[in-house]
Amino acid sequence: MPTPLPTNTDSSLTLIDRVRRALGRYEPITAPTTPPPVIDESITRLVHSDIGLSELFAKRAEENKMIVHRVYPEELGPTLVRFLIDQKCTRLALPDSPFLNKLNLIDNLRSAGLDAKTWDRMMLDEVYDCDAGVTDVFAAVAETGSLVIRPTAQHGRALSLVPMIHAAIVQPRDLVADLVDLFDNASREGNRNGLTIISGPSKTSDIEMNLVTGVHGPCAVGVFLLQ
Amino acid sequence: MANAYENQTLDENTTRFLSEAAESHFDFHSVSTQAAGDERLKKAVNNATMRQYTGRQLQLLELPDADKLRTLAGNIKQHALENLDYYLELLRKNVEKNGGQVHFSTTGEDAKRIVMKIAMENRCRSIIKSKSMVSEEVNLAHALEDAGLDVVETDLGEFIVQVSHDKPSHIVAPIIHKDRASIAKVFSEYFHSDYNDDPQALTAQARLHLREKFRRADLGMTGGNFLVAETGQVCVVENEGNARQSMTTPRILISMVGIEKVVPRLSDLSVMLKLLARSATGQMMTIYTSIFGGTRTAGEKDGPEQFHLILVDNGRTEILASEYRETLRCIRCGACLNACPVYRKIGGHSYGNVYSGPIGALITPLFEGLHDYKDLPQASSLCGACYEACPVKINIPEHLVRMRRDIVRHKFNGRLERLVYRLWGWGLRFPFLYKWIGIAQKFDLRRRAHGSGWIRSLPKISAGWTQVRDMPAPAKRTFHQVWKDRPQDSQNPN
Ligand code: SF4
Repeated sequence: MPTPLPTNTDSSLTLIDRVRRALGRYEPITAPTTPPPVIDESITRLVHSDIGLSELFAKRAEENKMIVHRVYPEELGPTLVRFLIDQKCTRLALPDSPFLNKLNLIDNLRSAGLDAKTWDRMMLDEVYDCDAGVTDVFAAVAETGSLVIRPTAQHGRALSLVPMIHAAIVQPRDLVADLVDLFDNASREGNRNGLTIISGPSKTSDIEMNLVTGVHGPCAVGVFLLQ
Repeated sequence: MANAYENQTLDENTTRFLSEAAESHFDFHSVSTQAAGDERLKKAVNNATMRQYTGRQLQLLELPDADKLRTLAGNIKQHALENLDYYLELLRKNVEKNGGQVHFSTTGEDAKRIVMKIAMENRCRSIIKSKSMVSEEVNLAHALEDAGLDVVETDLGEFIVQVSHDKPSHIVAPIIHKDRASIAKVFSEYFHSDYNDDPQALTAQARLHLREKFRRADLGMTGGNFLVAETGQVCVVENEGNARQSMTTPRILISMVGIEKVVPRLSDLSVMLKLLARSATGQMMTIYTSIFGGTRTAGEKDGPEQFHLILVDNGRTEILASEYRETLRCIRCGACLNACPVYRKIGGHSYGNVYSGPIGALITPLFEGLHDYKDLPQASSLCGACYEACPVKINIPEHLVRMRRDIVRHKFNGRLERLVYRLWGWGLRFPFLYKWIGIAQKFDLRRRAHGSGWIRSLPKISAGWTQVRDMPAPAKRTFHQVWKDRPQDSQNPN
């Protein structure tokens, strides 16, 4: 190995000091030596138009092995109930979301005999005993057919992760064209709570490259795309 | 480490690998020769890498200009490295603003001590750990086990590695070298259950077992694919959901990440993420991409109460100071492994360390010392497939050549080899001598081919050449003769 700078192994230096010496500097810099590379959208952007996002998202989500239902608001309740019953779900966990409340979803689910509870009325541990999480989304990316969840006090991380089934309700205004847009929006708004981008049911191909779904996350993801 | 293996039944692969590893000096030639002769291993590795490789190429076609995107990604990483002191400071400030703590560790030992200290102080009993190369690098799981902590690897592949006391052999697909029969055997012993080699059933068995672990865990660990300086966050990509478990249920979350993972801005992720999964497994996106950091915010009922980010140096600043700085761009996608004709023949264990394939051949000597790993930079045909595959455009072949130069400079190559090359260099200066040596050699080699056109074995110092393959016999006429007798009109170039 080429001999490192002698100062580099001095144990009295902090790690950042050593990094600085390795870069040939002795004093902290207050700004990067050159501006960071410009992110040229003509190179990074894959989806250019805002037209047809709904179709593109549905197509890509299906390619990601999510089960996509395109529904009008009045069909949502019955379609969702049918999906959950098909997947043999009885106990459900939902976020405490104004949007879902407005849709009267809880009543719909309960009157179908399903045991639905919202996040504000449950403990984390209870989610482990639920069969399905029924959630709204922070955004949905057409380019990659992905759902985006932002964890908050009203929307726990566990809801879209722990139960075997995840049903997500997507409205047209959630759709963004490209990952570029998602990250632009997130940078603008600040991203303190973070994001989880979901692009299909949990899976592994570790064993002889055989695809198995439902490893540690949901084994099926239903998407209910409102028209 | 050794005591953990006592009283365990190991499968044959593992036994052989461990006994090789136990020898103080790592012997590339013997492990790789054995590996090259292991038909089952070769088939498994070839099958898997080829599938990932083709997948990658199909996915890259979809990008409007994959080449420019790779250049941009490389530039972003290079920019972050050139200003790493600045961005690490920024990262620290922002992690703290989000309620997290940043720990800097110079060596792997430091890193392990910090984890242990956090676990002890908070009386953590059960640890769930998701896959991370840097924890592999510092051998974290073993250290925690030895300290009596209940730690479980939760990535399915790594879990299988853990219960079979094996070593991972691929950056992205750790058990690429194992077949289902050997996994089924390990599981039936571990769970005291009936033998069942159906991948679905094996996965379900692991899922059930690990789910209880997730539910009870009080300390979660992840690695990190990227560190976003601007927001003080970590980005982790995965397919299974176990890393998400680490950041959901446990009270305490530790992310252990190498310092070179920093990118300046959140929007840089749109560049990196478009390349990472496509290059790694040929997916458009991995199933889960999580961007997180800091503690849970007011009113949140899940997510960590404490967040610790351990930034690991472990030799990286020395690489940063060297001519090999560019190698720190690596985003560990594994594309160079899948593209490499050598890796495909010999598999990951032959490289004798955590990082295998072309990038392993470069960074293992940088991390562990060139003297002990001098065979690695030479185990390449310099075909350039790795450079072509690399999403951040690390010029691996160029660095390999540079490293071979270092070997010569430090006289790490054998005496005999140096003598041969000195003689060769001397011969080259005397065209007449060179010509006659060439002719003599040709006669000798053609004699050894016994008219079959193939030389099956060579004596002594050249024996290595024919140990695992035949060498074609030289042509009847030397190049010099052919050149001299070429038709005259082809002399005018046109
Ligand atoms: S060197 Fe390049 S191709 Fe190889 S793992 Fe790193 S980023 Fe991927």
